[in-house]
Amino acid sequence: MNQVGSVALVAALAFAVYGVVAGAVGGYLRSLKTVRSAERATLAFFVMITVAVVALEFLILKDDFHSAYVAAHSNSALPIYYKIAVLWAGQEGSLLFWTWLLSIYGGLAVLLNHRKNRQLMPYVVSILMATGTFFASITYFVANPFEQLSLVTPQGMTAFSPADGNGLNPSLQYHSMVIHPPMLYLGYVGFVVPFAFAMAALITRQLGDNWIRVTRRWTMVPWMFLGCGILLGANWAYYVLGWGGYWGWDPVENASLLPWLAGTAFLHSVMVQEKRGMLKVWNIVLIIVTFFLCIFGTFLTRSGIVSSVHAFAQSNIGPFFAVFMALIVFFSLTLLFLRLDYLKSENKLDSVVSRESGFLFNNWILLAAVFAVLWGTIFPIISKAIESETITVGPPFFNKVAVPIGLLLLFLTGAGPLLAWRKTSFQSLKRNFTLPVILAAATGIGTLAGGIRGLYPWMTFVLCVFVAVCILQEFYKGARTRMRIAGENFFRAIYNLTMRNTRRYGGYIIHLGIVLLFIGFAGLAFKSETKGLMQQGDLLQVKDYLFRCQELTSGQNPNYEYERAVLTITKDGQALGTVHPERRFYLASQQPISHVAIRPSLKEDIYVVLAGQDQDTGKAVIEVFINPLVSWVWIGGFIVFLGTLLAMVPSRVEREMAEIKRPSETAVEEKHAL
Amino acid sequence: MELGITFLIAGSLALFVMLPLLSRDQEGQGVLPVDVTPTADLKRRRLVVYENLQDLEFEYKAGKIAPEDYEALRNNYRAEAAGLMAASLEVERADAGEALIEREVAARRAERRQPPAPDYRCPKCGFENPLPVKFCGECGAALRPAKKKG
Repeated sequence: MNQVGSVALVAALAFAVYGVVAGAVGGYLRSLKTVRSAERATLAFFVMITVAVVALEFLILKDDFHSAYVAAHSNSALPIYYKIAVLWAGQEGSLLFWTWLLSIYGGLAVLLNHRKNRQLMPYVVSILMATGTFFASITYFVANPFEQLSLVTPQGMTAFSPADGNGLNPSLQYHSMVIHPPMLYLGYVGFVVPFAFAMAALITRQLGDNWIRVTRRWTMVPWMFLGCGILLGANWAYYVLGWGGYWGWDPVENASLLPWLAGTAFLHSVMVQEKRGMLKVWNIVLIIVTFFLCIFGTFLTRSGIVSSVHAFAQSNIGPFFAVFMALIVFFSLTLLFLRLDYLKSENKLDSVVSRESGFLFNNWILLAAVFAVLWGTIFPIISKAIESETITVGPPFFNKVAVPIGLLLLFLTGAGPLLAWRKTSFQSLKRNFTLPVILAAATGIGTLAGGIRGLYPWMTFVLCVFVAVCILQEFYKGARTRMRIAGENFFRAIYNLTMRNTRRYGGYIIHLGIVLLFIGFAGLAFKSETKGLMQQGDLLQVKDYLFRCQELTSGQNPNYEYERAVLTITKDGQALGTVHPERRFYLASQQPISHVAIRPSLKEDIYVVLAGQDQDTGKAVIEVFINPLVSWVWIGGFIVFLGTLLAMVPSRVEREMAEIKRPSETAVEEKHAL
Repeated sequence: MELGITFLIAGSLALFVMLPLLSRDQEGQGVLPVDVTPTADLKRRRLVVYENLQDLEFEYKAGKIAPEDYEALRNNYRAEAAGLMAASLEVERADAGEALIEREVAARRAERRQPPAPDYRCPKCGFENPLPVKFCGECGAALRPAKKKG
């Protein structure tokens, strides 16, 4: 099977290289049959990478420890669902997985466009396959998951197969860890499609809003996956790492946040181009930045240049990624520069107080966030290069910079949609902002009277109310108008309002999700933490909660040994339930890890960690965190997910647009279809 | 065994990839068609402006926009739509002119390709028979129509 995987990789690489050349030649010569051949190469690339993935999964599931990758990342006692996840648990496998997802996106792009966008597709294929060539080459030549273990003996090299593998990293043995990396990768990889379309539009000089419309869903899908991946990662950190939080500004967390922020900016600014024919250069720059940050994030995780809970071991793939990133920047910026004449704005900004400028501010702030996070993330690398010592930038820096930026963005989330396109007068502002401002002010006074501490949490709550009222007011006013005009009842009116423009109202729902996320973030300001030593019968008081240690047990299963504390929780004499924090020791990898017990609620989470055993007293070290409002982070994330799905449903207007037939849809004969 | 199957898959895929190159182009199908014609592009842009106007109307009715803003914005959008409409007409006129030329050229070509009327000249007496007949109207000799020329 190792040979099967290697042969499949080589064949995939050959198809990818052929796809790059045939796409470019077909596009240049305008030869339909050459382009068809290039498109088929994309599908062949997908099939061969799939064969390689199946071969690796087969080796993992069969416990073939003769395979170096399987021996390093799996063990025979590992449950089957974690064995499947071994595919992306190590450097080599995860690169293969990246390449596989790329091949899926490429194949889908080809199949869904086989009668559309005929002038763009040759170059789209070329760029997709150029990325495919890079990743398949790295996977085959530099980090090959199909290498076999061998021993050097006096007689020469002999095959070697250990009795069992080193096992999966214990911190990865958690349910959201099975879906977190695929989600994140689907996000990272997916941005290659809008990037390829943007570059194809530059090459073919088709720089109207066609490429923007074509790539809208191709951008929303990876944006959604990236967002889900980030939140699942946060959820994993919260449930597994045992430090009581979910976001630590770790370099790899930041690396995933960067393209998400840039992608958010892109998703907003394309609307200005569609509606007003403006920001054409800016949109191209944003998609270049987003794709670059995706590759940069992949590089950061794999090169070993930053230390992180996520990063893979030090490896030699860094320089290859650096060259690839340099090529992306050089190629895309040169192309952009050569086509500047075709990217002139069709309209001018009429007023500073307008939807266009709202989007522009939102873009600047998002890019400021990208810059701040990027700076904090790469500062240790720069400091090491200049001063020969690594200066790490911790959460205080990020919080100091990110909180004001986040609050500004939150404000725009509510205010932006209330501004009219072109210009908004004071009279119009008054009509839209009176109610949100009054209710936000009332919240501000109310929370101050209630004794809230800290400027930022207070501002967050005030702004959350402001934004929520802005959005709900939009729904209410729209529904009321429909009720008046069309005689619909309230619910029908809300439904029709939303379905008529799914993009706008889906967007509002996303904004509501963001409000809930911020409520969750604000809760961090009020968290409390207590540590205590406990044995059977001991009590520990944390805020209003009383913990009683019922028992301390231990045991073993084939995968790990564990110590477990059973604690009952009471509040004001009322029993709330029992929690079972654990400390596990994984046998294959010989690593300990805490298994946190959490009792979540909408108001606050009770988060209990069995941190270990006190050397002097032999008692269990119990850490208790009371984390207010954390559940709203997960709920908010879910609402964002739902809103994104809604925004992807084609609205009536879009269907009308799609009905304007393109000649290419009619001119291509069945005979030449794939 | 598995390795053999892998080679077989790779080989079949190579054939699948190369097959379009081996196919013969039929007239007009070998060239990549245009994605967006100027007419379709203008139509789409006009639709966007109409959509903006509809939104404006709705937002005005919902009480979100002050009357003076509404007037000004509506006039702006209308002017934009009128401009696009004029541009569309111009393109359509140009297209129509082009189409007329194309049609004339096609008609001339068709004319040139028209096969000449079959020849019913009697090989015996030399009489030009005006209708398609099997026997000469003058001398009664059997006729065989001449083969098409050109």
